Amino acid sequence: MGTSRTIPTRDVVIFVVAIVVSIAVHIAVLVWSSLNFAAKPLPATQTIAIDMISASDFSQLTAGAQNAPKAATARPLAEKVGERKPVDDPTAQLAKKEVTAATDQAVPPPEPQPPAPQHKKQAEPKRDLIADAIKKDLAKKTEVKKAETKAPTPPKRQEQPKFDPRKVEALLDRRTPQRVATGGETVNDTVALGAPSGTAAQLSQSEFDALIARLQQFWNTPAGASNPDEVTVVVRIRLKRDGTLAAPPMVLTSGRTPLFLASRDSAVRAVLRGQPFDMLRPEHYDQWQEIDINFDPRLMMMR
Amino acid sequence: MITRLSIPPLSRRRLIALAAGTAGAAGAGALASLSAPLKLDITQGNVQPIPIALPDFIGASPSDPAMARGITQIIASNLQRSGLFAPIDPAAYIERISNIDTVRFPDWRQINAQALVTGRLARLPDGRVEAKFRLWDVFAASYLDGKEYATPPDNWRRIAHLISDAIYERLTGEKGYFDSRIVFVDESGPKERRVKRLALMDQDGANVRYLTRGDDLVLTPRFSPTTQEITYMSYGQGQPRVTLLNVETGQREVVGNFPGMTFSPRFAPDGQRVIMSLQQGGNSNIFLMDLRSKSTMRLTDTFAIDTAPSFAPDGSRICFESDRGGKQQIYVMGANGGSAQRISFGDGAYSTPVWSPRGDYIAFTKQTQGRFAIGIMRPDGAGERILTEGYHNEGPTWSPNGRVVMFFRDPGGNAGPSLYTVDVTGRNEQRIPSPSYASDPAWSPLLR
Repeated sequence: MGTSRTIPTRDVVIFVVAIVVSIAVHIAVLVWSSLNFAAKPLPATQTIAIDMISASDFSQLTAGAQNAPKAATARPLAEKVGERKPVDDPTAQLAKKEVTAATDQAVPPPEPQPPAPQHKKQAEPKRDLIADAIKKDLAKKTEVKKAETKAPTPPKRQEQPKFDPRKVEALLDRRTPQRVATGGETVNDTVALGAPSGTAAQLSQSEFDALIARLQQFWNTPAGASNPDEVTVVVRIRLKRDGTLAAPPMVLTSGRTPLFLASRDSAVRAVLRGQPFDMLRPEHYDQWQEIDINFDPRLMMMR
Repeated sequence: MITRLSIPPLSRRRLIALAAGTAGAAGAGALASLSAPLKLDITQGNVQPIPIALPDFIGASPSDPAMARGITQIIASNLQRSGLFAPIDPAAYIERISNIDTVRFPDWRQINAQALVTGRLARLPDGRVEAKFRLWDVFAASYLDGKEYATPPDNWRRIAHLISDAIYERLTGEKGYFDSRIVFVDESGPKERRVKRLALMDQDGANVRYLTRGDDLVLTPRFSPTTQEITYMSYGQGQPRVTLLNVETGQREVVGNFPGMTFSPRFAPDGQRVIMSLQQGGNSNIFLMDLRSKSTMRLTDTFAIDTAPSFAPDGSRICFESDRGGKQQIYVMGANGGSAQRISFGDGAYSTPVWSPRGDYIAFTKQTQGRFAIGIMRPDGAGERILTEGYHNEGPTWSPNGRVVMFFRDPGGNAGPSLYTVDVTGRNEQRIPSPSYASDPAWSPLLR
């Protein structure tokens, strides 16, 4: 039979060390997992208030009271923000339309200007438009002059190229690969659903589209290049709050061929000419502070 | 057996340190969430010409600005004719360039120039003219390119074309085509008795030179890709003969003595062989002839009319016109003969196929119900597009960079034909000035 003997000290030490290391590793694993798995703060979810209600109370509620005051209908969430539509004065709009239909082709550029600058001056030239419509029959030339004086007032818009139907089609047809969720702009405080502050946390689709449109407008591409794979350029820009570049644009793709150099220069030029990107809202600044733009002309090129 | 491990005794401090270190490493392993940049795809741009500012080159001497101004104007008209550039009216310029290396970019940005060219001429002691230019990106405020050229004074137009090519290449990424020449058939006299002479000119219509006197009828001149030689058909003594002409020496040579009529000769890419069609009896077939050894090889053997052959730039295939299927169509065949594939399938008769120097397109003449059109298609027949239509457009030829097609158009009636160019996208059709009526153009490679 085995005699009892003391365990050698060395073995005890090893045993203790093993236990301690094991505990340490367990603690480390627990600490790591607790840090990692709880790292991301939960996004602000919409909490829904719940009331427990009995069936009889429910049927009484839904039956309603006959002389109860009318509840205000929920205001719909706005999809687009910004342009004030001229709902208040349809006659001015009609007068304008009459003028354009009768006008000669001599003044196409000012006519299809975006309605925004027109509407901002809605109050002022309202009289002018109606007066013009009256004078229209007398002299067409005064109309031409008036349109020309209006033309220089939005100098920025003048830079836009002449109205090109093909471009409109391109804008309408386009499917942006990243769809940013529309943020609700109007605060809906009559409905009990949703968080108390219903502000949009994301870049709205209209800002996104306007930014793309601006870059497309200023991006000069040579069509008909021989090797389309060499002409894709990715440019990273960092913007200041006012929409201008904070630093020179950084080109992320590399290449050496003359075709790549020319494509890179035209992409950088588009970004430089397109600033300030004033269509981006300051409240979303942290979303658009840094933008990676992929200039890919392959769809435009001939196959 | 208990194996003994000799482990140094771990002190308590070391154990705690070990535990802490492991925990710390684990904590650091937790990824911090980065804010990713917003990503955009721009797939549509505009194809407007690039506004470019071309202030006059600084002359070699203040009293002689003529050559400097002439060079600037040639560059401006070259770039404008290409359809890809829009030179800005010099009356709008704000800064006066006195030093080609310093530029006030805000002045040029204000007139919406995207590119700027500054240049200077100088007279070298040996009599040659030296030209320097600098190309600038106005919005990025950076230097893009610059070169220097020296040449005898009467060659000054070539400097302008070389500078145009450098600017074109740097801003579009494609090789230029301005330093090249056109050989064509100059037609003069009344319609019943036209005098046809071979003529040579710069691609912008300058420096016209006549190569033949007009005694013989001349047709289909073509440039050699490697040497300063032209091959063409001449109807001397009633028999059409393929002839070689050296542009520099003026030496003439009849290519081969064939029992029959030879048509539409064209050089192979190596410049050593000529491909042509030979008519025997009622049909014509394609032959390849070596210029040194004079040996010939027959490439097609049909009872149809096979003609107008053209080599691919790599020399591996040829395209030609044949009516073996009934109407004239375009076929592609290996350079050593063999089976030919038909690549044209549209409605009409296809003729005069010419392979682009870039190898990516074949240009052709298409005739549909009395209407003529110049078009291009891929070498496999896909992507057929018409570049221009009209009564009697014919005879396409490619610019050296494969981006522009030149052809001739005969309006009919008493007037004669003229030369036109059109971009490969179908845009920017331009008339090329010639001293008289002109037809059958052929574009030379770049003169290097």
